[in-house]
Amino acid sequence: MTGQAPSITRVTEPRDVAIVAVSQTDSHRSYLEGEPTLIMQCVNDLLARTGLDRDALEFTIAGSCDYLSGMPFAFVANIDGVGAWPPVYESHVEMDGAWALNEAWFRLQCGDIDTALVIGSGKSSPGRPREVFPLQTDPYTMAPLGLDPVSMAGIQARALVDAGLATEADFAEIVSRSRRNALANPHAQVANDTSVKDLLAEPYFAAPLRRHDLPPISDGAAAVILVAGDRAREIAERPAWIRGLDHRIESHHPGLRDLTTSASTALAAKHAGVANGPIDVAEVMVNYSPEEVVLRNALGIPPGEGGAVVNPSGGPLAGHPVMATGLVRFVEVAQRIFDGSADRGVAHASSGPCLQQNLVCVLEGEA
Amino acid sequence: MKIEYPYERTTGPVVGAFLGALRDGRIVGNRCGDRVLVPPLEYDPDTAAPLDLDLVDVGPGGAVTSWTWIAEPTRKHPFQHPFAFALILLDGADVPFVHAVDAGSIDAMSTGMRVSAQFRDERSGAVTDVYFVPESAAVAQTITPGQEPVTMTTHLISLEVDEPLAPHRERFRAGLQEGKIIGQRSPASGKVYVPSRGYDAMERVQMTEADDVVCSDRGAISSFTEITPVQYYGQEETEPYVRASILLDGTDSPIIGIDIRGDDIAGVRVGMRVQAVWRPAADRRTDDMDNRWGGAWESVIERWEPTGEPDDDPRPLQQYAF
Repeated sequence: MTGQAPSITRVTEPRDVAIVAVSQTDSHRSYLEGEPTLIMQCVNDLLARTGLDRDALEFTIAGSCDYLSGMPFAFVANIDGVGAWPPVYESHVEMDGAWALNEAWFRLQCGDIDTALVIGSGKSSPGRPREVFPLQTDPYTMAPLGLDPVSMAGIQARALVDAGLATEADFAEIVSRSRRNALANPHAQVANDTSVKDLLAEPYFAAPLRRHDLPPISDGAAAVILVAGDRAREIAERPAWIRGLDHRIESHHPGLRDLTTSASTALAAKHAGVANGPIDVAEVMVNYSPEEVVLRNALGIPPGEGGAVVNPSGGPLAGHPVMATGLVRFVEVAQRIFDGSADRGVAHASSGPCLQQNLVCVLEGEA
Repeated sequence: MKIEYPYERTTGPVVGAFLGALRDGRIVGNRCGDRVLVPPLEYDPDTAAPLDLDLVDVGPGGAVTSWTWIAEPTRKHPFQHPFAFALILLDGADVPFVHAVDAGSIDAMSTGMRVSAQFRDERSGAVTDVYFVPESAAVAQTITPGQEPVTMTTHLISLEVDEPLAPHRERFRAGLQEGKIIGQRSPASGKVYVPSRGYDAMERVQMTEADDVVCSDRGAISSFTEITPVQYYGQEETEPYVRASILLDGTDSPIIGIDIRGDDIAGVRVGMRVQAVWRPAADRRTDDMDNRWGGAWESVIERWEPTGEPDDDPRPLQQYAF
């Protein structure tokens, strides 16, 4: 090993790939039937919307996590909801469905198939998410401390406040707006009109965070159909074309990162081409309210009049079906391109504590 | 329900040195260019180049660079009373280290405050051997170093899951309690699935209580394997036993995970006709049943007794192994 990375050259232009149909379940606080049932609802909904037969989908890929529901091989059981018959190329990522979409995009670049079904699903309600998530951290120096994402988000929030980049009132404003936006989202779990003043009157949970700065615990699923090339226009009146897609990772040691910024998001946004045109809508994976401050800066979407609408669905603060939450961001942006209310949008997903990994996608409709 | 996975991990020389130092009452980082990293790393985080094992003692004092107050600790946290998680820039280090500060009260915490390491009486070469307190509260400690280098860590993953029974599963459970095996007939295909998963996976339709049917408690063994138990963590079996699948009469999916023990093992074959011998109603236990696919059979059915009928043709049973 010389320590030098191989140079990678793109030899052909990528195939055009579009989202042609989307589906999501409600965010349930506790869904009584199994995860395959949530998936089944999305898959049947997609087939009904597109008129496609199940065997027209040549590749299926799902993102889920067995640890969440505490069911070994839950990801295998989930195939029941996808439809195990007829058999097709099948794949799985132990990540949010947004990364399943990422892999599906690459799979479609191979050129031998044109359609893919992408799923994200999760049931967090049976387990204790704050005890599950430390298992994704460093097993020597962090996991034994039970270092959970709520605690890490609290440390990140204080870093933002200390740096003068945000106030607790800013966090409350993000929560207030997200929950108000969620009033128009039939799938949302937490939707209400609560003032910043009332939110700030609540006690601390992981100071400087209050409980409402955290996402709810949710069960749910989402799914989309990707189609390559002209076939997308046959299936959708106005497909949501993937114009840029990029994923970057930072160190898993929080001490090696500047928690007031997100270098990986900024880099992914650059490579996805976020700045190459105006953004009408951005659905951003804000699991903890301070993350919106960090992500707006990294994506180049400042708050204020005339800018992109951020999280019109309410975002993860209004519903957080873990492993589907990121894919729901794609669903929300694509839906707005389908209905013509947006021409160009950004879908963002994150994974790991304090936005350790970030995936950014630019979606566009045709004029 | 509790799910446990015991892990043992080798440390390698760098993490091993760090954890060994903690056991011995010291904190070490390593040099990376002109920086000192804590915890020490095997590689340069910027270039991925391997680093020499160039250890540097840091701390025990340091300054808090950010923190959060944990009002409600989880069971996995280092303290079961309120405490702070903090990024701590240890004296002599160039990057902060995340750990717990036992400060007593949120009012004792502030960014920039000085803290100092304290070591636990029981140390095992783990990151939990140390914690931090406000510098003014630190007490002098005499630590006897250990003998052997730290080369392994153990980590027991133990997760508790608390999930109500799905509605179809609750009806199945109640049926077993009454000595009935309840399945569901697919409204799409007419096939009978038992135990049902609440849907027909082949036709992708959800099923409801209207689709419930009571199934026969007689059938034919459709597949089996003899298991010699390996003594892994959590294993409760000690003697060889047979794990079988049985296709109940009138159904289209076998019940699986049927265990046959003792003298009943002899003569087990595909096609053999068997019948459930139910435990007396008062002895049936279904209260610890969960949503997993198995049927909790042994807690309601004592054994599956050969009926003495002629065997079923084993060939069509081949497709009902699982």
